[in-house]
Amino acid sequence: MSEIKLLSSDQATITVQKEVAERSILIKNMLEDVGEVTEAIPIPNVNESVLKKVIEWCEHHKGDPPAQADDDSDSRKKSTDIDEWDQKFMQVDQEMLFEIILAANYLDIKPLLDVGCKTVANMIKGKSPDEIRKTFNIQNDFTPEEEEQIRRENEWAEE
Amino acid sequence: MQPKTPNREDLVQTWAYLEEGVEKIMKDLNSGVDMNTYMGVYTAVHNFCTSQKAVNSSPQTLQNNGAVHRGAHLLGEDLYNNLIGYLSRHLGTLKTDSESHADEALLAFYIREWDRYTTAAKYINHLFRYLNRHWVKREMDEGKKNIYDVYTLHLVRWRCDLFDHVQKHVMDGVLKLVEKQRNGETIETAMVKSIVDSFVSLGLDESDSSKSTLDVYRKFFEKPFLEATTLYYQMESKQFVAENSVVEYMKKAETRLNEEEGRVQMYLHPDIFQPLMKTCQKVLIQEHASLLREEFQVLLDNDRQSDLQRMYNLLSRIPDGLDPLRTKFEAHVRRAGLSAVDKIADEGGDNLEPKIYVDALLEVHAQYKNLVDVAFKSEAEFVRSLDNACREFVNRNKVCKSASTKSPELLAKYADSLLRKSAKSAEEADLENKLTAIMTVFKYVEDKDVFQKFYSKMLAKRLVNFTSASDDAETSMIGKLKEACGFEYTNKLQRMFQDMQISKDLNDSYKAWLEGKGESAAGGVDFTCQVLGTSFWPLNPPTTPFNIPEVIVQTYTRFVNFYNEKHNGRKLTWLWHLCKGELKASYCKATKIPYTFQVSTYQMAMLLLFNDATTVSHEEIEKSTGLSKEYLEPALMVFLKAKVLTLVAPAKKVEPGSSYALNFDFKSKKIRVNLNMAVRAEQKQEVEETHKTIEEDRKLLMQSAIVRIMKARKVLKHVVLVQETIAQIKSRFTPKIPDIKKCIDILLEKEYLERLDGERLGMFVLKVYTS
Repeated sequence: MSEIKLLSSDQATITVQKEVAERSILIKNMLEDVGEVTEAIPIPNVNESVLKKVIEWCEHHKGDPPAQADDDSDSRKKSTDIDEWDQKFMQVDQEMLFEIILAANYLDIKPLLDVGCKTVANMIKGKSPDEIRKTFNIQNDFTPEEEEQIRRENEWAEE
Repeated sequence: MQPKTPNREDLVQTWAYLEEGVEKIMKDLNSGVDMNTYMGVYTAVHNFCTSQKAVNSSPQTLQNNGAVHRGAHLLGEDLYNNLIGYLSRHLGTLKTDSESHADEALLAFYIREWDRYTTAAKYINHLFRYLNRHWVKREMDEGKKNIYDVYTLHLVRWRCDLFDHVQKHVMDGVLKLVEKQRNGETIETAMVKSIVDSFVSLGLDESDSSKSTLDVYRKFFEKPFLEATTLYYQMESKQFVAENSVVEYMKKAETRLNEEEGRVQMYLHPDIFQPLMKTCQKVLIQEHASLLREEFQVLLDNDRQSDLQRMYNLLSRIPDGLDPLRTKFEAHVRRAGLSAVDKIADEGGDNLEPKIYVDALLEVHAQYKNLVDVAFKSEAEFVRSLDNACREFVNRNKVCKSASTKSPELLAKYADSLLRKSAKSAEEADLENKLTAIMTVFKYVEDKDVFQKFYSKMLAKRLVNFTSASDDAETSMIGKLKEACGFEYTNKLQRMFQDMQISKDLNDSYKAWLEGKGESAAGGVDFTCQVLGTSFWPLNPPTTPFNIPEVIVQTYTRFVNFYNEKHNGRKLTWLWHLCKGELKASYCKATKIPYTFQVSTYQMAMLLLFNDATTVSHEEIEKSTGLSKEYLEPALMVFLKAKVLTLVAPAKKVEPGSSYALNFDFKSKKIRVNLNMAVRAEQKQEVEETHKTIEEDRKLLMQSAIVRIMKARKVLKHVVLVQETIAQIKSRFTPKIPDIKKCIDILLEKEYLERLDGERLGMFVLKVYTS
């Protein structure tokens, strides 16, 4: 089992199985295009703690069947179900959660991106606007008039 | 070390950085891409697309598309457009470069640049993957036209900025190369193949860029290729035909067609196979079809099987190519059959040997069957032409000039000669083959009822006279007939066999019956007989009165008693003319040998008279046997000829008034002397009778068919009735329409049918008679 090294944005070198790293399509394509590499692969946009977290996920999911090229099936889109391990994995502070999502997007790891987005979706589900604002620490920058208008426009969606 | 990436919010800086990377891949991929550049370019694309400020840096985009957007605006259009700009510049340079090349050099240039370009496109597609995943995907989801993923974009640009300008020159090069190969030179076929692959790759489905179409390839490669092919072969074949024979041309065309097939496999796209073959077939075959067909008769006349096969193969490739051949073939086979029959008919005269006749038919059939199988691949239509021709010459030739019934008659006679015991009985396997051959001719015989008549007559004779060569062969032949014509056709034949078996058992129980009465073989007469069902056997009762000789009267009456005891109410008709017996002669002076005379019952009755006197007069014989003149006189002549009897002077011949004396000096080389010989006149008469009964049977067959049809249909127009009758009877013989009309008239007379009033067309309704 060949191993490769990854270099995080904060200059930490992490050794990881090639198979695990190739959950990232970016790394997979790069290895295919550039050929065998010996030095550490620079990952300019991800720091060590996030990269480790991402690798942990990849490690756990290394045996998963490769996702279809364009899996836009309804089940993936509609369901917010997350398997138990992933739920536990995502029990991190908000900062880390968003970092993971950004890293998954950058590294092109679609299933991880999905899990991250679903986790956020679940955080929003069933909450009122005020509660959502509180959850994500968002300032309300609407005037009361604007707010009234939006409510009217979206009346059909109530209930 | 982390790669240095440009300021994510600065388009100019970002693109400058990206172009450097892209240029390196496009121009210098051989030296490899280093990892840092790779990650740097990817990251730069990612960073630019995810920057906040860039939104503001392209406000016009927002305005243009703002109304359509439903979600967050995605960045990337600037990168996409810049990439287009770069590719156009690159391809523009290539286009200029291409102008300094022509023919093979141009092909080499095109292929080299194409390979380099598409390989680079794969890399660049990976590097711009973030753009593909987000901005391009969003644009395409929203139904934007002319937006492609980065790889496809490369192909699209190639087509617009280079291909459209150079394809004609490239194609000229390809066509020149192919022409060289057709002229027999060796070329680098891989080049053509690469061009084909390139053209195919450029076919993009406008509605779905993930799919490819063959449109570009068909338009720019296939079309000119086919046009050039047509021109080339038109020229070549025209010249070749002018200088060579048709047979040589066929060989040439065959070779050319094979070559083109090989060409498709070797380096063309499989899609061209059908159109290319069609093109070649049109030019090489269709345009010379009439020339080929003219040669067909010549080839047939000279029996050139392999050339005929070649012609078949060629003409079978074009639509309706074979029809005229079939007509000619049918006529040819018919002529061959007729002339074969003419020849033997002239040689054989009236007494044509059945074997010679059947062999002549079979020989013609075998010859052309073989031709159809080998040269025409047993093609169904040719088989039919062969069958049609054979049916013609089997049923309508010189031998059956008077009546088509001659063919089945001779065929049945031939079968009889095979199945009858004879000195030169055929080997079993050989016999089986010959019987199969009979069936080949039988298949073509139209008057199958005539065959049936003669066959059953002769079978009856074989059985009654115990002259059948082999039960197995008989069964096999009946099996074949049954297979060909059905159960009904052979029913009577099979019943005849059964009767033979029953008779055997009957004789056994008769013997037992006699022993039970204590009277074994009374009167010194050893006796067996067959009891045969009247309706199954084609045998006629005797036509002459006959007084049963004293010696066998006792035997006769005893059997009659036995039979009546066993089966009360059945009528026994004794067929004396078919009976025979053996007499031991112990009177001869010249030798001590006790001759045995094999004689008919009639002859026996005559000879027995000489037990009481050595000289008997004609009148006495006539009176005591009761036989009519037709039977008496031929039998006496046989005796005189064999010198069993001698004429008493002054008698000169067999006639009333003569007297006959027993010849005590009788001598023979054989101990058993067969005097029971059929008389020629008798045979001829029999044939005529058989033909006559056929006419009668046919009338009945037609009438019963008519009644059957009317029973089912109740009311029918005359014309339809005639047609249906023909259809029903066709398998037995071909009825003539006037005959059918006659039968309808008979049925009208008998009031089985009636003519409906007011219907001029003649409708018939069946009156149902319950009896």
